[in-house]
This record gives sequence, C-alpha cells and structure tokens, in this order.
Amino acid sequence: MVVGDISRAIRRVDAVSKCKGTVKYVSDYSFGDCLWGRLVRSSIPRGRILAIHLPPMPDGYRFVTYKDLPEGGHNYLHMIATDWKCFAENEVRYVGETIGIMVGPDKDTVENLRQQIKIDYEEQTPAVTIDEGLACKGGAFVNDDNIHCRLSLKVGDVDEAFRKAAKVVTETIETGFQEHIYLETNGACCIPEDDHYVIYASSQCPFYISKSISPLLNLTPDKVVVRHTTTGGAFGGKEHFPDVVCGPLLVAAYVMKKGVKMIFDREEDIENSVKRHPSKVTFKTALDKDGNILGMDSVVCYNVGGYLSSSFVVLQRGCFHVTGCYSFPSIRSVGLGVATNTFPSCAFRGFGAPQTIFAVETHLCHIAEMLGIDPLEYKSRYFIKQGDTTSTNGKIVERVMIPEMLEQVKKASDYDRKSKAYKWGSGRGIGISFYNHGGAFTGNGEQAIIKARCQLHKFANGDVEILCSQTEMGQGFHTILPKIAAYVLGIPIEKVIFRNPDTSRVPDSGPTAASRSTMIVGELVERAANLMKPRYDKEEDFTVETHYEHPEGYPWDQNTFQGYAYLGYGWGVCAVEVEVDPCTAEITTKGIWSSHDCGHPIDEKIVHGQVNGGVLQGLGWGSTEVMQNTDGHFKQTSMSDYIIPTSMDFPKQGVYLVDNPYPWGPFGAKGMGELVFNGSAAAYIDAVSRAIGKRINRIPLPTEEVMNYMLHGTDLRSEIEEVR
Amino acid sequence: MESRICFSLNGKDVSITTDPLRRLIDVLREDFDCKGVKEGCSEGECGACSILLNGKMVTSCIIPVGAADGQQIMTIEGISATEKGKVIIDAFADGGAVQCGFCIPGMVIATYYLLSNNPDPTEDEIRLGLSGNICRCTGYDLIVESVRLAAKRGGELWKK
Amino acid sequence: MEEVKCYLPKTLKEALEIKAKVDVLPLAGGSDLMVSHKRTLGLTPVFEKPVMIIRNLPELKRIYLNEKGECCIGAGCTSAEIAENTLCPWHLRQAASRMGAIGLRNSATIAGNLANASPKGDTPGPLYLLDARVRLSSVRGDREVLVSDFIVKYRTIDLLPDELITQIIVPLSEDDFDYIFWHKVGTRKANAISKITLSQAIRFAPDGKTVEDFRLSATSTGSKTNRSRDVEKLLIGREITDETIESVVEGFDRIISPRAMPEFRREATRRMIRRFLSEAAKKPSSKVIDTYDGYHMTGAPVPRGEENG
Repeated sequence: MVVGDISRAIRRVDAVSKCKGTVKYVSDYSFGDCLWGRLVRSSIPRGRILAIHLPPMPDGYRFVTYKDLPEGGHNYLHMIATDWKCFAENEVRYVGETIGIMVGPDKDTVENLRQQIKIDYEEQTPAVTIDEGLACKGGAFVNDDNIHCRLSLKVGDVDEAFRKAAKVVTETIETGFQEHIYLETNGACCIPEDDHYVIYASSQCPFYISKSISPLLNLTPDKVVVRHTTTGGAFGGKEHFPDVVCGPLLVAAYVMKKGVKMIFDREEDIENSVKRHPSKVTFKTALDKDGNILGMDSVVCYNVGGYLSSSFVVLQRGCFHVTGCYSFPSIRSVGLGVATNTFPSCAFRGFGAPQTIFAVETHLCHIAEMLGIDPLEYKSRYFIKQGDTTSTNGKIVERVMIPEMLEQVKKASDYDRKSKAYKWGSGRGIGISFYNHGGAFTGNGEQAIIKARCQLHKFANGDVEILCSQTEMGQGFHTILPKIAAYVLGIPIEKVIFRNPDTSRVPDSGPTAASRSTMIVGELVERAANLMKPRYDKEEDFTVETHYEHPEGYPWDQNTFQGYAYLGYGWGVCAVEVEVDPCTAEITTKGIWSSHDCGHPIDEKIVHGQVNGGVLQGLGWGSTEVMQNTDGHFKQTSMSDYIIPTSMDFPKQGVYLVDNPYPWGPFGAKGMGELVFNGSAAAYIDAVSRAIGKRINRIPLPTEEVMNYMLHGTDLRSEIEEVR
Repeated sequence: MESRICFSLNGKDVSITTDPLRRLIDVLREDFDCKGVKEGCSEGECGACSILLNGKMVTSCIIPVGAADGQQIMTIEGISATEKGKVIIDAFADGGAVQCGFCIPGMVIATYYLLSNNPDPTEDEIRLGLSGNICRCTGYDLIVESVRLAAKRGGELWKK
Repeated sequence: MEEVKCYLPKTLKEALEIKAKVDVLPLAGGSDLMVSHKRTLGLTPVFEKPVMIIRNLPELKRIYLNEKGECCIGAGCTSAEIAENTLCPWHLRQAASRMGAIGLRNSATIAGNLANASPKGDTPGPLYLLDARVRLSSVRGDREVLVSDFIVKYRTIDLLPDELITQIIVPLSEDDFDYIFWHKVGTRKANAISKITLSQAIRFAPDGKTVEDFRLSATSTGSKTNRSRDVEKLLIGREITDETIESVVEGFDRIISPRAMPEFRREATRRMIRRFLSEAAKKPSSKVIDTYDGYHMTGAPVPRGEENG
C-alpha cells in the first residue's frame, strides 16, 4: 500500500497477527534448554540481613547472590544514578528488594526451594510516606535528611509579590501511587553465547539494559546484547525496571553457564515493581485585592522510595510543569525527592508532569471557586502564549493553540451552559483542565546525552530496513516509522522492514520514552529517507545514517535548570461531566471531551487510540486506582483489588485535534504519548468537586472518598485554609 | 497423579495424560502450543486467557484441565480460522482496536461470544460484552467501534 | 499405590459415594479455589486435601419450579445461567448478573459462592432476603437448612464431611412484593467486588398503607451477610413515616459491623434504606426502586439555566 496522506489512518502492521495471537511475547518463546529463575526478596521495609538459611540444594539448583559477582563486577544497576543495587548485601531498604535469585531446571522445584529460603533480619523502623520520609522516621537513611535530590526554580520577584499581596492562600494537593498494569507482566531470558550474553526482554529501552547491567560482570555494554521482544504494554514501567529483572538473570546465567528465564506472575509484578511517584505539592499563592495572582510559591515533594535511580529527572520534569499552561507574574518552586522505605518509584507516562499539572489545575479551581468565579474564566486569565516566559526562564517557541482547542471542547461539551446550569453541590458537574507536556528529553539532553543515530538500509530487491533502537509496546511505532519512510521514498509500506531491535545490529537512537520517538527518531528517519531517495533507484545495496542535531539559539543549562527546557510542547484541553448518586456517592461520568495539539498527526487513528488510552488511564489515576502503602507493603496486590477502568466505567470520548505543525518534527509531528495522560484527572476532579460542592485535595477518589468529602469536605466558596 | 483427559480442541479430538488439577491455560499453552491464550492476571479477572468452553466464554486460568474432560474448547487459534473470526479480526485491524495486543486475542473471543448471542448490539451492550476483558492501552473506544464494525460487516453471518 | 489427588466423578451418585469415603474438596467453577490455591505461572495449584471436580455433573445444572412454586436451582448452575433464567427471583438475577467478569460468571457457581462464605459474596444477600434454603445431600440422605443458618460465620459453613451442596431453593420472588430494591456499590461499574450491597423488598396490606412485609439484607457490612427480623418488625404492621423509617435505619445500623470504610458503608446503607422506604411510600408506578432517578441531590431536578451564586 502506498501511503497517500501522512495523517490518514492505515492499518497497523501488527494488528492482524496480534488479533490471531501469533505474535510472540517473551513468555511465548521456549528458549530451548533454559533454567528457571525466581527472585528472593526482602519481606521487610527496612533493616539488616543477619543470616540467610538455605535448604539443601539438589544438583543443578543454586541460590545466586551478590557474592557470585566476578572480581571487578559492580553490584549496581546503572540507571541514571547508580545507587540501586542489583542484589541487597547487608542492608534492605524496601519490601521486594532483590536479595538473590533461585535458579534450576525444574520450575516447581525452584519454587519449592525458594519458599524454603529463610532470612533473618534486624528490623528497623521504616519511613513510608512523604511526611515520614521528611521527618526522618527511624533515622535518615539517605544523606542526613532523607532528601535524595532537590532543585529550585525562580521567575520574577516572588518575594515582592508576597509583600504586595492582599491575600495569601496556602493549600496542599496530593496524589497517590499508580501501578502500570501493562497487560503483559515483566519477563526476560538471558542466554550465554560465545563471549557475550544475549538478553530477550519485554522492555522499552534495550540499550538501557546493556548499559545498566553489563557492569555486574565487569563487561562492556556490547557484551550484553539485548533482543527486544514484542512488549505487551509498558507506560514507563518497562523503561528502567527491566534492568532489575535482567541484572539477576545475567549473574545467574554467568554462574550457571546456562540460559535462565524468569516471567513474573501478576501478584509478583504488582507487589515488586516500580510505581508512579506519590506527590505532595504545597502552594502558597499571593493574590491582589481583586483575586489576581501576583506570585506562586510551591514545594513539590515526590516519594522516591529506597533508591534514587531515575527520580531526579522525574522531579525536574515535575517542577518544570508546575505552572501548567499558565504564565504568572512570578513563581518559585522547590522540588524535593524524598527517600522512603517503599519500592523505588520510576517512570510512568508523564514522568513527573501529571502530578504538578494536577496540583496547579486543582489549586486554580479552588482559588476561582473561593472567589465565586467559574474556574475556566479564572484560568483563562493566565493562559501562556508564544513568546511568554516559562518556569525555567526560557520562552515558549511555538504558537499555543489553547484558545482554538478550548473552543472545540466548549462546543462539543456545551461547557458554558452546563457550567452555569449545574449549581455547585447539585449532584451534577462539569470540569475542565488545561495541560501540556514538553516533548523529548529536557533542554539539550537529546544532543548532550542521547546523541541519537538512525540508519536506513536499501537492499537490492528494493526493500528498505529501518535500523534504530525504538521499540513497539503498543503505541504504534512499528507502523509510524515505516509509514514515514514509505511516504518519503514513495514506496509501498510493505517494502519497509522494521524489526524488534537487537542492540548488536542497530544504532542507538535512544530510549522509547519521553514522548520522543516520533518527534526525534521520526525526524531522523524522515531525513534519512530524504537522503536515500535520490539514490534509491540508482544504487542496489547501501546505508544512510542520520544524527540528531539540536536547533541553534535555544540555550539550556542543566546545572542551573535555566533556559529552553522544551522546544515543542504537546497541549491539551479536557472537559469531563459527571453526576453523583446521592445515596451511595457513586460517580457516573456522562461525557469526556478533549482536544490535543500534537503538531501534525502522523496517523489519525493511532493518535486517536493514544488519546483514548491516555485519557482513560488518567481518569483511573484520579478515581479508582487506589494503591495503599502504610507499612512498607503495597496493600493492593492483584487485578481484583487494584481497580483500573473497564469498558463500562467511562463513556465514549469526544476526540478533537488541532493541526499545529512543529518545525523540527517529521511532517510537523510532536510528542503526544504522555501529554494525553496529563490532564484528565484534573478535569474529573473539578467536575466531581463542583457536583458535590466540596473542595477535593487528593486523588485517587474512590467512592468512599467521595462520600467522605460529601460529609466532611469544605465548601467550594469558603476561604482556603490549609488542612494538615 | 495423572489422568487421561480427552476433549475437543478447535474442532479436533485430543487427549492428554496429565495431572487433572493443572490449569487449563498451562495445558493449552504448553502441551498444545496455543500461545494466543495469554496470561494477564491468574485470577479470572482480566480476560486475556479467554476461551470458549462448550460455546461459552470462560477464563482458562481458573479451570483445572480435569474439568475439560469430554468438553469442547475453542481458542483464538481456532476462532481466527473461522469465517466469523476473520470478520472480527478484519474489523479490529481497520477500526484501530489493537495497541500492545496482549488483551486482544481475549477481546476477539469476547466479541465472537457477544455477536454470536447478540448479532446487533447497542453501544451499551458492546461495552457490557467487553467488560470482562481488561485493556490498559486503548481506552476501549476503538475496540467498541471495531465490534460495531464487525457486527455490521458480518450481518447475517452472526445469526447462523 | 499413588495417592489420589483428584477425583473426576461423572454422576452425582458417584460424587456422593466418593464424598462418603474420602474427605475431598469439591471444585466446580474454580473461581475461588483455583485462585486461592494458585502458585506462580505454569505451576499446578496445590491443595491441602484431595479435590473432586464436579463442574460438569448434569444433576446439578437444572433450574425449575417445584410443586409449591419455589425456585429450585441446581448447585452447579453458574452466575450467568441464573442471571438469564427468568424463573430465578429478581434480586438473585441482579446479583448474579453483576458478579465478577463475564468469563468468570460462566464458571462461578451458586454453591461455590455460598460455600466460600465470604461477606462480600454476591448471592447470599438476595438468598437471605428471600428465606432461601440450601439442600445438602449425602449417601445417608438429604437435609435442608436456611442459607442464613448454613453460613455459620466468616468463611465457615454447616456442611458435614460427607455432604455436598446439591440445590438452592428460593421460596419467594419479586411477585411476593410491591416494591423491590437491589443496589451494589462495587469497586467499579463492572467486573467488581462489592463495597456495599443492599437488597430490600416491601409489601403493603390491602389498605395500601400498612406494611405487611418488609425485608432488608446487606453484604460487605460485617463478617457475614446481615439481615435482622427484629429490625424488619419495626416497620411491619406499621405505616411508613419519618419515624418508622428512622427506626429501621437506626436499628439496622446497630446490627451491622463493617470494619473497613465503616463510615461510608454505614452512611450509604442508611441513605439507601431511607430512599427505598420513602419512595415506596409514594407508590410509584415502577416496581423497581433504585438509588436515584436522575442527577439531583435534594429531590428536585436542577432547572436548566439556573445560575450559580
């Protein structure tokens, strides 16, 4: 099929084989004569390992720990930081921390042996919540204050704003853990081959795995070859976490000199995997006598867990997005990454931005309602525009189409009429939110850190293979990238080959993360195809390569966090309408309408699917997805008690797009995978709080919490007083 | 303890001598290579391992293979070869129903089961029919649309 | 000889004979037992005693009305079979149709739901409400006990080692009442576990005012399903007034003992009782009363165009 209009939907290349069930995920491979692995983990949140009691081991079975690392091997996982150990040595910092891996040929025996391993601990008092971490409950275990990482931002003279303020409002907005629930649980296999190891893994970022785990055996990354297997959902949960799975497998394969395979079951995956960072954002906002914002001060606390790993970058993105889609006269924001004795938090669609966007959206609603103003009218006073200053003292480079998007959503949702008609506390409510997401790595990270490369190879038969490290995890990249190449080259898409990456044969085009794949790698492919095009008919067998080039004139300083954090943002507007059951406090969502700016869409159907999925995932985060942890153990451990939405929970969405071509993206496309998550929870909570007439300060919001707010909440019009 | 268990699998009579308490999903995947039967939750909650047992959709992760003795089983491998299955798969491909694909064989089974019992469902009936199958990627809307498309394209086929 | 770990009887008679000789765990749908005994992927569940698979016993699959007009439901009937069979009483069909996921409803049986004796179980609420009995069979013969006696306490049932649940007999149906109510607040809108579920039914005397029968049962409000004849008697023989409603509300509040989210469960229960009784007193044309009609919180719909402030 020849690609006509780049935006017009085509069939996804993997649709039919996935429907038939013939696509292989990691658990579908046999891998021949492999051993089975099962992790042995800490059962306590904090303490010291005193002794490990092993049952008698039959021949061919072994319990592998840090002691099995070769000389020169480093017992850490190199994510962004290197503090997360592959195997606990003496200290354990969270429930689920890997202590060792039980391996052997028969799975049943491996499991029975694993159950018999007993570990003696000296238990210490854990700090589990953000408040406990900040209070150094049980004594600090990271630095002397339990702060893993911190940063601060300042725009304008915020102190002056507070001196001039007629009123200062202070409130805290909280969000909870969120579990990814990719339908395919984590799994991988590591097989020794000649002088290297081959890893098969369900993952987002094959080169991350090589880099992260090769130091365990003191190898260079090229000696750990990663072959990506089709991934059944990831959402950030397979960005760094596969390192935690693959590290022990690599050491076990080294010790046993045999392949070792491990697939998590669901309970194991929920209990022992990374989550979205819980957050606590405290705003102190200076208002003039008419209620206009003079300055906004915020403290952004994220629950990082036991190890820092990638969390500083998450916290940075959180702080950069703390002003949402708005421009305020002055701001100050302090970000704190708090150490706690919980499973380390990590990437999850939005990477820190959803928490602060939810917080600022909700805070603005509360100020507006306190003033008796429609939240939309109040928020619209501060919409950011092209050329305005960002939270990092950069400028917005692109045209911001929020006014156009707002018109679409208002028209579709009948917002103006409903907002007036549904009295606060009447049982019905409509809410609206505005959000954005900076595309790709922050600042000049794409150039300074990633240095993405991509190749196109033409074969004599006219087929063209795309060589890059991007992975398909459901988002449609196996269709998007060939579509771009086919369109530019003017050849049928069937002639473009794009396989699951193998790190030994593709260049490193960076991780499949940060909404960067289409925006950055798509552009590399577009450029490569343009280079190939004039030679395509003349030459038989050749390769072209492209490298990422950062546009000139948009400086960024990663030490001070000053400058142009993002050149292209995705933008979104979302409205949600709800009604409340007056007897039971159950919420029924009556409508969801959103408009998004993702530049020029590469495939409207894929974009549509991303919008639907991201918006729904955000609604789950805001409503039913309760993941409690008060003693170091996650309380929800299965898909029957961690409640994600079904097809019945929310109605069909109204999906709208605007066309706003981005000059540096392929055909004008920008990132959008995370954007679509960022705002729906805020719109939902706005709608619910108007329906019940009460101020809501934390999510998730299961039915019993709605009832709690109905009975004890603060009226929307009352003065905002901080509740501690 | 092993027993001989006989059942019909995708229209063919098969037998296996095994522990009757083994989970049907494991037998289907490991002994009959039905790798389209996916394991998502291990507790009958997510629908990824859905199969038809005597024409009714069940989750194979909670059924011991002993309970399949003498029964008829259809998996995605069998369904996808039928005329009805092809209509569904075509509609799913055209309708944008598929993202990561892990839930999708189960969704195809759920659609087959729904349309076989209700050839012309409303949107609410489709949402109810899919409510036992959890998808984390799509937000369901395009799957719902695709089921509608399959109902339309299949037409009389669903009444057979 | 190898120890038998699993029996596969083909008939009820065979099953009862096995039960008479061996202490076996009957397994029908698998939705509870296969999950509670599961290990990790690919491993066979391990049970503390031998298992007897009774999923396909034909004798346990029938639903019919007996000579007294009572609905007799075979123990092996699944939730889906009950939900779609109009011989089954309305309350029970509602509960069965909202139990778990569709695929699970094609496996889970009514007997399994009772034997599990979970306070969150979906079917006990309606069965308590309608004075249902459970038939327990053994090679010695049959006996019948009220479902509310059969479930002794949390996870404990009145079943002798040689007995098998073979039938559920429901003597009453919606036809015996003027107004009926069933509402489940689940963890979500489908495929959900109960947070609180209330079943109610009321019948007026020929004078149209005096309450002749009133019943109320709740699940997820304590260690077992709650129903109290004493509380119901506070209304029976009287008229529905604000005072009698409150006496029922307060009386019922005293007998329930929710541990998790107690305030929510108590408040939702109170509101649902008030709602049902106050609506029934108005004698609406619809027999089924639910938690609310539309979108209001105070009684009257919000007029369109009304301004905030």
